[in-house]
Amino acid sequence: MAILTRIGEICQLAKVLALLALAVALAAPPPILVTLGAPQTVRTTNLKIGIHTRLTDEVEEWKIKKTLTMVREMGAAWIVEYFPWGYIENEEGRFDWAHADLVVDHARQQGLTVIARLGFAPHWARPRDSVVSYLDEARYPAFANFVGEFVRHFQGRVKHIVIWNEPNVNFEWGYRAVSPEEYARMLQAVYPRAKQADPSVQILAGALAPVLAPPGATDAMNDLEYLERMYAAGAREYFDALAVHAYGWKSPADEPPALDRVNFRRVELLREIILRHGDASKRVFITEGGWNDHPRWTKAVHPAERITYTLRAYEWARQWDWVDACVLWAFRYPAPAQTYQDYFTFVTPEFDAKPIYYEVQKYATR
Amino acid sequence: MRRASIGSRFKVQGWRGEPLETGRLKPGTLPVVLIALALVAAWAFATFAPKPPAKPDATWARIVATGEFRVGIDPSFPPFESDDGKGNLTGLDIALANELAQDWSRDLTTTIRVEYVYTGFDGLYDALQAGQFDAIISALPYDARRTEDVRFSHAYFDGGPVVVVPASDTRTQTPYDLARQRVGVELGSTGDAFARRWQRRLQYDVRWYETAADALRALARGEVEGVLTDLIAFNDFARAVGGVRAAGAPLVNEHVVMAVRKDSPTLLERINAVIVAMKQDGRMERLHAQWLVVGE
Repeated sequence: MAILTRIGEICQLAKVLALLALAVALAAPPPILVTLGAPQTVRTTNLKIGIHTRLTDEVEEWKIKKTLTMVREMGAAWIVEYFPWGYIENEEGRFDWAHADLVVDHARQQGLTVIARLGFAPHWARPRDSVVSYLDEARYPAFANFVGEFVRHFQGRVKHIVIWNEPNVNFEWGYRAVSPEEYARMLQAVYPRAKQADPSVQILAGALAPVLAPPGATDAMNDLEYLERMYAAGAREYFDALAVHAYGWKSPADEPPALDRVNFRRVELLREIILRHGDASKRVFITEGGWNDHPRWTKAVHPAERITYTLRAYEWARQWDWVDACVLWAFRYPAPAQTYQDYFTFVTPEFDAKPIYYEVQKYATR
Repeated sequence: MRRASIGSRFKVQGWRGEPLETGRLKPGTLPVVLIALALVAAWAFATFAPKPPAKPDATWARIVATGEFRVGIDPSFPPFESDDGKGNLTGLDIALANELAQDWSRDLTTTIRVEYVYTGFDGLYDALQAGQFDAIISALPYDARRTEDVRFSHAYFDGGPVVVVPASDTRTQTPYDLARQRVGVELGSTGDAFARRWQRRLQYDVRWYETAADALRALARGEVEGVLTDLIAFNDFARAVGGVRAAGAPLVNEHVVMAVRKDSPTLLERINAVIVAMKQDGRMERLHAQWLVVGE
């Protein structure tokens, strides 16, 4: 009898808990409704202005839309966004496009042109305990397959693909000695698959970090030497355009290029190499670059200098008829990096526009 | 009225005092009640009973035992800290660390000396957690997100932008008082961000300058009615040129603090005690006056 009474009490308690749960569920606010909205057009006086977004780890759709809306309102027509292979093909042969679709569709709705940067080897494509930038040559076909699938999936929506990132720096090359020859073979694996999926897609190679590493350095290779060796290794027929990174560090955007200087106009030296190889039809895309205004970082400049140099950089890009886009780093981080990196951004994680944002907007809409 | 359940035999009365119902406790209820009461009593004792003094944390115990207070610093940020290239450190943070050591030495009858560990600014937190030093004293901005990992001291400086007006302007006390007036800022600075945020509401006529000093010179020339700039730039200009005053509190708090590991509560307590004492006896103000002046 006592057991029956206890069971009855438990049932009563369960009912109360169920009612409470129902009440909580009903009281909870509905999820935020985010729609693509009406198609927008970028209004800008310089169609080469671009900015690198960081939406890879941005979960909430409204933040993706807000970011891209602000990019468009700043007057930028281009974005570079990172689409990690390991996120999309976490299991071999199974592709999850949901997040990538979200980013691309919102960007296109804002009138932005997306340059997709592809990299990040999934766990199944690399040895255990290796880093995500490590990819054996034996796995190049798997990466090529992914690139082909990416191009096919985004046909008509994404026309520009960057293959890997800063392969001339060893931490971007799996902490191994960097090798332009291996990178050339990666391009040779990827290019036909991408073109097979969409003959009009543009394959951007390089995305080289501007470094002055001496010959034989173990941590990086001079970007000029790297590009020369890419050509020597037969990469020429396997990329349509060169992606370059153009950081100014402490130098003004106008500082002339020199072999022993890392500055914004170093891209001109890369362009000279392209010309020397009789490859003048190859376009150049600046896919990273810019200045940092951290108060303490040794490579940073004052905020006013950062603004001035940034506007000059966009102006240089406009004058260079061999450059299609000048995409600077970086629009906004999903969360603070809590390092000097936070001072590369144009907008805070809370969507507060920094003065540089307004100055670029003023420049782009003048 | 629901059935009552306390007491072995009891009566329950209505509000007029009439008997309503009687009953007996269910078997087994009394021990449960007693256990609950014992738990409450134990919690109350643990919470409210006077405690013996906490045992000093291991970091503080080591500082006292060895006389060595190890400080992490990036000496590249004058006037807070800089190295003259020969290993000689100067700046507000150095003076503060010396004050800490002096006060502790007096209290402990042990001489405490400061040992500096040079570390890049971005690596300070990691090095602290790795035990390479006891505290960060390096013009460290307070960061709420870091409170999961470290403990911050009381602030010893607020670097947020302030309203600067001509000394003859005794009316202006807040940024609201500059509504519909010409406001100078250093392009890209925190003061610039503040001015842009409030521009529409307060109808500022914002004028941008390359440096804070340029903006302050424009103020002196009468080109603007107020300038939003940081306290260090203001101090510098006030010393060198004069004729200006800072009105009111910083517009945005940018507190400068020290940090210790979470396992160093005694050290934090000792640091805070000295900061409080220095604010009360005027030493902090004197150090600010001494160090927070920089060249252009």
